Order: sequence, then C-alpha cells, then structure tokens
Amino acid sequence: MTAADDTLCRHCLLPVGRRAMRRTVNGESCAFCCYGCCIANQVQSGNRYEWDAAWLLVRLGVGGFLSMNVMMFSLLIYTDPFAGVDADMLPWIHLLLWLFATPAVVILGGPFLRETWTHATQGRLTASALIVLGVGAAYTYSVFATIERSPQVYFDTACMVLMLFTVGYYLDAVGRARAARDLQPLLAAESELATVVDGDAEQCRPVREVRAGMLVRVRPGERIPVDGVIVEGASHTDEAVITGESRQIAKGLGSPVVAGSINLDGPLLIRSSGAGTATRWAQICRSTREALLRRSPSQRLADGIVGAFVPLILLLGLGTAIYWAQHLPFDRALLTGLAVLVVACPCAVGLAAPMATSLGIGQLARRGCLVRDPVALEALARTRVLAFDKTGTLTSGNARVVGIDSEGVDTNEVLTRAAGLERHSEHGLAHAIAVAAAARGLEPVPTRDVRTVPGRGICGSAEGQPVAAGSGAFMRDLGWLLPPALAEQGRSREASGHSVVYVGWGGRVHAVLSLDDTPLQEARATVEALRYRGLRVMLLTGDLPAAAQRIAAAVAIETEDIRAGLAPEAKSMALDRQQAYGIVAMVGDGLNDGPALARADVGIAVGSATDLARETAALVLPAGGLWMLPWAVDVARAVRMTILTNLMWAFGYNCIAVTLAMLGWLQPVLAAAIMAGSSIIVVLNSLRLERLPDPVPSAAPDQSAAVESAPTTHTCSLPIIAGQAIP
Amino acid sequence: MGAYLVIFAAGFAGSFHCIGMCGGFACALGRDPHGQGATLQRHLLYNLGRLSTYCFLGALAGALGQVICTSQGMTIPLLSSPLDTGQRILAIIAGLLMVAMALQFFGLLPGWHRVSTGFASSALVMSLRSLLTAQGYGAPLAFGVFNGFLPCPLVYAFAAQAASTAGALPGFFTMASFGLGTFPAMLLMGGVGYTLAPAWRQRGVWLAGSCILLLGLITLGRGLLPIAAHVADSWHGGHAI
Repeated sequence: MTAADDTLCRHCLLPVGRRAMRRTVNGESCAFCCYGCCIANQVQSGNRYEWDAAWLLVRLGVGGFLSMNVMMFSLLIYTDPFAGVDADMLPWIHLLLWLFATPAVVILGGPFLRETWTHATQGRLTASALIVLGVGAAYTYSVFATIERSPQVYFDTACMVLMLFTVGYYLDAVGRARAARDLQPLLAAESELATVVDGDAEQCRPVREVRAGMLVRVRPGERIPVDGVIVEGASHTDEAVITGESRQIAKGLGSPVVAGSINLDGPLLIRSSGAGTATRWAQICRSTREALLRRSPSQRLADGIVGAFVPLILLLGLGTAIYWAQHLPFDRALLTGLAVLVVACPCAVGLAAPMATSLGIGQLARRGCLVRDPVALEALARTRVLAFDKTGTLTSGNARVVGIDSEGVDTNEVLTRAAGLERHSEHGLAHAIAVAAAARGLEPVPTRDVRTVPGRGICGSAEGQPVAAGSGAFMRDLGWLLPPALAEQGRSREASGHSVVYVGWGGRVHAVLSLDDTPLQEARATVEALRYRGLRVMLLTGDLPAAAQRIAAAVAIETEDIRAGLAPEAKSMALDRQQAYGIVAMVGDGLNDGPALARADVGIAVGSATDLARETAALVLPAGGLWMLPWAVDVARAVRMTILTNLMWAFGYNCIAVTLAMLGWLQPVLAAAIMAGSSIIVVLNSLRLERLPDPVPSAAPDQSAAVESAPTTHTCSLPIIAGQAIP
Repeated sequence: MGAYLVIFAAGFAGSFHCIGMCGGFACALGRDPHGQGATLQRHLLYNLGRLSTYCFLGALAGALGQVICTSQGMTIPLLSSPLDTGQRILAIIAGLLMVAMALQFFGLLPGWHRVSTGFASSALVMSLRSLLTAQGYGAPLAFGVFNGFLPCPLVYAFAAQAASTAGALPGFFTMASFGLGTFPAMLLMGGVGYTLAPAWRQRGVWLAGSCILLLGLITLGRGLLPIAAHVADSWHGGHAI
C-alpha cells in the first residue's frame, strides 16, 4: 500500500490506486486516476483564467488541427487523386505530412510518454507504454520511409491513434464524472461551507468549525449543514438522505432540522444543536468515503490481470510483427503488430468493477443506507438466506397493550386505575399502560401511597381503596381474590408469549392486561418483497416459540423458518448452520445482535450507524428504514450484474479484438477507435445504474409516522385488538 | 464548379444563421491588444481552425461515401460516369437529410432542431470559453478546431452532401467551399463586432434554407432521376479532378 492508495481521483472519485497522476489545478495538488480524468478535470473545473486549463485545450486543439490535416492528406492519397497524377509529387506530400505529424506527435504523445516514463522508473508497465511503443514505431518507420522515398508512410496512423486515445480517455472521464456528480456532495460534508451569522456579520466557515449554539443561515436550495432548530423562517425540507424517503416536510419556527436535508423553498436561520462533525450526515459522508476507498477481492483480481496484461500484449504484438514479417513486407507486418498493441484495452477491465460499485454505494448513501465496503455489496447481491431478529427489527421493540380481559367492570375503568398507578413507575410495561390510557383519552385516577415491589408489581391507594397491578404471584402475596376465569385467561395469554399484568382493587383482581411487542407496519410487505426476490426469510429470536410464531404469522414468515428461544451464542450457531446453503445475511437492530450481525456474511443493522464503525454491520439502514431493504438488495444485485456484464464485455472484447488484430484483420486506426470505444461502453453500461428506480415507500404507507411518533400507532390499533380480546 | 458556387453561397447565407452561436464566439474572441493586424491574424487563425475541421469532416464523409459505393461491387465511381446504385442510395439519403435541414431552417420541422443540436454538450462549450481569453496564436486556432465540431445543422447538411459525392476530394471541396462561404460573415463579426438587424438575419437564414433546399433537391434528384445524373455530372464534372 502506498500513500496513493487511499485517495480518490479528483475527477471521477474512483480510488486512484497505483495509477495515480499528479497535477496542479487551480494551485491545488490533485491526484487523478488516469490521463482522461486529468484532462477532463482541468478542462471542466480549471479556473477560466488559469493558464493551465487553457493551455491544455490549446494543445489538444492544435494537435487536433495538425492530425486532421495529416489525416486529410493521407485520405486523399489513399482514395484517389494523387496516386494517378504524378508520382513525383508523392515524396513532397510525405514531407508535408512529416512536417505536420512531428509537432502533433510531440504535443499529443507527450503526456503518454511522460506517464510511461514515470511508471517505468517505478518498475511498472502500463497501457500508456503500449501506445508509446506503437506510435513510436509507426512514426519512426514513417520518418525513414520519407527519407528513403518509399511509397508508404504511416504518419496518419501515429497521429490518429494518439488523437483517438486522447479523445477516448476524455470522453471516458466525462462519463465517469457524471457518476461522481451524485457522490460529490456526499464526500464534501465536512469541508462544505456554512454561512455562520455572528451578530450582524455573516461569514462562510467550513462545517467542521461549527459548534453547538451557533446561528447558521441556509438559503433555499441549499443543503442544511448542521443539526439544529429553526429560529427564523419557514420552509419545506427533503430528508431523503437521512430517512430514505424523498418527500417534502413542512418546517416552521422551532422545528428541528437534520444536517444533510435539502432546504427547498424558504430562507432559514438555524441554531446549531451540536458540532458540525457529529451529525449523522457527516458520518454518512465519512463512511461513504471509506467504502469507496476499499477494494473488493474481485477488484484486486482485475487489477492483477491488468498488471499482467500489458507485458503479455507487448509480447503478442512483437510476436505478431515478427511472424508477419516473414510473409509480408516489413511495413505491413509492423502495422499488424501495432494494431495488436493499440487494440488491447486493459482500461475496460480495470474499470469494470470500481465504477459500478461506487455508483451503487452512492445510490444507497443518498437514501441514508450506508455500506461498509464493496465486498458487502457483492455479498448482499449473492445472499440466499436473510435472517431477521425479532425484537426491534420486525417489531417496534416497545410493548403495547393488546388485550384487556376484565370481569364485571368496564375496560376504561381498568385502564384509568392501572394508569393512575403505573405512571409512578419507570417500568417498560408501565409506560405502555399509561400510553394506552392516554390514547383512549382517559384521565388516570389520582393515586397516593404508591409502593413498587421490584419484579412483582406496584400498589397504592386511590379513591379510598387499595389498588394494585402486577404479576399473579404479586396478587397472591397481597392475598387478593383471583377469579378462576381471569387466571385461566392470564395463563393462556402467557403461554402464547404475551406479558401479563393483573389489575385489581378493593381486595379483588378485576382484569388482566396483555401486553406485546407488535410487528412494524412495513414488516409484512418487506418480508413479502424479499421473498419475491427469491430470498429465504428466517426469524431468529430469543423469545418464546409462541411469541415468535405469532409475529412470524403476522409478517408472513414460514413456520419452519422460525428459530425461537435462542441465546445470543445460539443465534450465531443457527447462522453457521444456514451458511451451508449459501450466503446468509442477518438483520438486527444493532443494539442486541452485535455478535450475530458480525457472524453473518452480511450484517444489516437498522438505524444504528455506530455498528458500521465497529465493523459488526456491513450495511446500515436508516432508523425506520426496514422497508428499504428490498430496494437495497435490488441495488446490490444491479451492481453485481453490471460488474459481471462489464467484465464479460471487457474480456470478450479483448480476446476477440486481439485475435483479429493478430490475424491482421484490423487497421491500427480502426483498432484505436475500437479501443477508445470499449472503455466508454463500460462507462455507459455502469451509468445505467444511475437510472435504478427509487425505493417505493408505498409498501409502508404510514411508516414514517409510526417511527416518529410511536403513540399514534396505538390509537389506531388498540381499540380493535382490545375489542376482540374483551369477552 | 457550379455546385461549389451554390455551396459557397449557401455557406455565406447560412453564416448569418451561425451568428447566433458562432458569431458570439467570434465577437468574444475580441481584439488583440497588439493592433489591427494582430486582431485579423487572430480571427484568421480561428477561421482556419474551423475550416480545417470542416475540410476534414468533408474528406472523411466523402471517403466514407466512396467506401460505401465501392463496397457495392463497382469500381471507384468517377463523377463523369453514370451513377451506380450505391451512389444513388447515398444521394437519396443525403438529399432527404438536406431537405429536412432546410425545412428546419424555415421552422417547419421543430422536432428536428432538438435532434440536430441535441448533442451539444454545454459543459464543453463552457470550458471552451477559457480558450477565448487565452493569449497566443495557438488558442484561437484550437478554438476554431473545436468550434468546427460543435453541432450545427448546416455542417450536418453539407457533410451529408459531401458523403453523397462519394469521393474524398469532392467531399473535401464541398466542405471547403461551405467553410470559405462562412468566412466573410464570421470575419465581419469578429472584426467589426456589430450585430445584424434581426430582420436581416432572418432573411439570411431563409436564403441559406433555400440554398440547402435547392442542393438537397438536386442531390435527391441525382439519386432518383436518370436524366438528372447528367445535370449533376455537368455540375461536378469539370472539377472532379
């Protein structure tokens, strides 16, 4: 690993690797991955008044002028007039061609020669060596031919090969820059400028210098640089990069805003609530940058092939020239060897994977889905089995009152009394009961002398009567009467995996509250969508089989795919068993399933981005972003498909083209044109990834509401479930 | 010879159409601080660059046409000989293209405008601007070369015409006469930097359209009518070699 390995190309944002070229643009030292990017970047973003950018274009233009003239005269020689007229004129025309071709070769070939030299001093041979050798041979031969007044010169070949390569590289780089356009904002989060308002003065400062409490002005159309609260103005924002869902959200005075969202239509003044580097947005950017820098094993393989490719082609070209020299005139043989050199295109092989991968990572990142590295993306595409954790992943993770079984009293009365007691408790179930009462609009009965018995229950007095809520054992301890019907209800509820709270007053148990974790609204649609994609969906949980069964039924997971009652280590083992059938992904909330996520081939965490840093999860979905999982699988598969087609094309192309060239069926100029086209085809094929459909939130119509304000879900579902449960 | 004169006239008239885009460049190329002579040199270099691109395209198109025609099994068709099938087909295609371009000039084929100028990459145009302000003689020449490649219906029309001549040399001459035809207006634009009244520009565009339409119809006729071949021969014949 050299220092160059961990930088991204300034132009196309692919890792520069060992191909790095360094140039100074606008007074800044920049690294580029290839000559094409180098040109394109200087042409497009070079300062308009900067000498360098203009100089480069001048060189290309003058080189083009000269080569076009060379080509034109050669064309005229080849096709008609001069041949017949008088042969005496031919040497003079050759001389003219030489005159034009020499500066053209120097101007256009200079960068290739320099690159070859730099790499040669580092002991490497790259594609530019092929070009230099080919063009050099054609030019040198032609010079001798001109001096010796032989009838054929190949200045046109030398010039056109250089021109085509230069234009090809340029177009290639322009295409790649289109891919980078989407990634650019993702990588710039911390170096982006924020307009900080200090008293009357406004100044632009990098986001990383913004501290909590600073005022930041955001104009319409800008990205909000920091988390904070609106202190002035109103607007709509698009939080797609954080939540994954692209829609307009109205924001007014006092509304919280998140960094990374786009301010759509009104100027805002925001009070920053934290450091600029501590936002999720900044983290997305950091991890995207890291992911882009990592290489997949297949990429290393491709790079290795490219490394071995150039010497091989050199040998083949030389062999071809020597072979044909025995059968053809020397110049024809030379030309055939030259065609072999210029038609081989290692660029297409080298470009097959990284561009598709970075497009895929960028697509996911723009929706708040973070990928650790290209390997994870590749593995996700090949995943056969997808194991879900239950609590907090398929379910909301918060208990809810799902049933009230009462005897002789109104359910509302049960809730008011229970809520009066439970609001004094910190327990999770207590909170659920208080929420259920609030959801029905019930006023809790004021309760005094509240006493909590840890692990058992809570008791106190209200309206002059003792009140208690807790387990069956707690009621027995109090010596209160538990009607057999209620006891039976409680037992059956407990057997099916519910948590049960008995509520009583005046020395008698009056009701049983059943509480349970409920599946997320989008869970069923997500599981079905994953199944539709040919994945086997499993449920791994530490809960009771009955509870697992109920959730599985609700989200449409097959009975035989449930593994319940698993301790954390057992989860890992269950995953190991499945790995015999193929690549296994594990989806968890990231809090409780660290080991299992790390053990799976692809660990997918929902909502917990810290796992990415801890390397337990390879893919992190935004909080409440379970519905995006099928889409992420689609993206991963599309990326893999693109890489495969790219590689197939690149290898197939090279095999066929080199064979044709060796047989002498390809003119060098045609070969150069084909070669320039081949890597452009790889770029265009990869760019198709830009047009992948967006994730469809319709699978979960109300999911964002469910995530942002959990209580709302209670209002809609509690009455139905409770109503069914009441005898 | 006559054909080239018509093409020259079309280029001249059509250059009033160019004023919209290329004329802007010519104006922006501006004056050289070293005086009138240097300014003229600057603009001549710019136009030379443009012309060489056009000539290259013409020769290329002509050679391409020739390749297509010879692959029909005929020997290289000299323009004085009767036209073979390949050349006829080429002439029909080129003629149709030219007629379509001409109609677009009259504003009759609005959809075509997008097709014919859709390839313009504004990024390239933007980046070319850095050349306009650069000093030295290389910059205007380079700018002219790139300018020649910018999408323009006129260039397409004459490139089609060049292809239909089925020879590198006549193709070269076709585009060269067109390019030379655009010289006066472009030089005028650069040197004087005045803008023509819109009415006059409109007339220029109509005139150019008429010329292209005429050429297109003749080319089409060369492909379709047996008698017209002789007319076309006499047009080109004197200048074939």
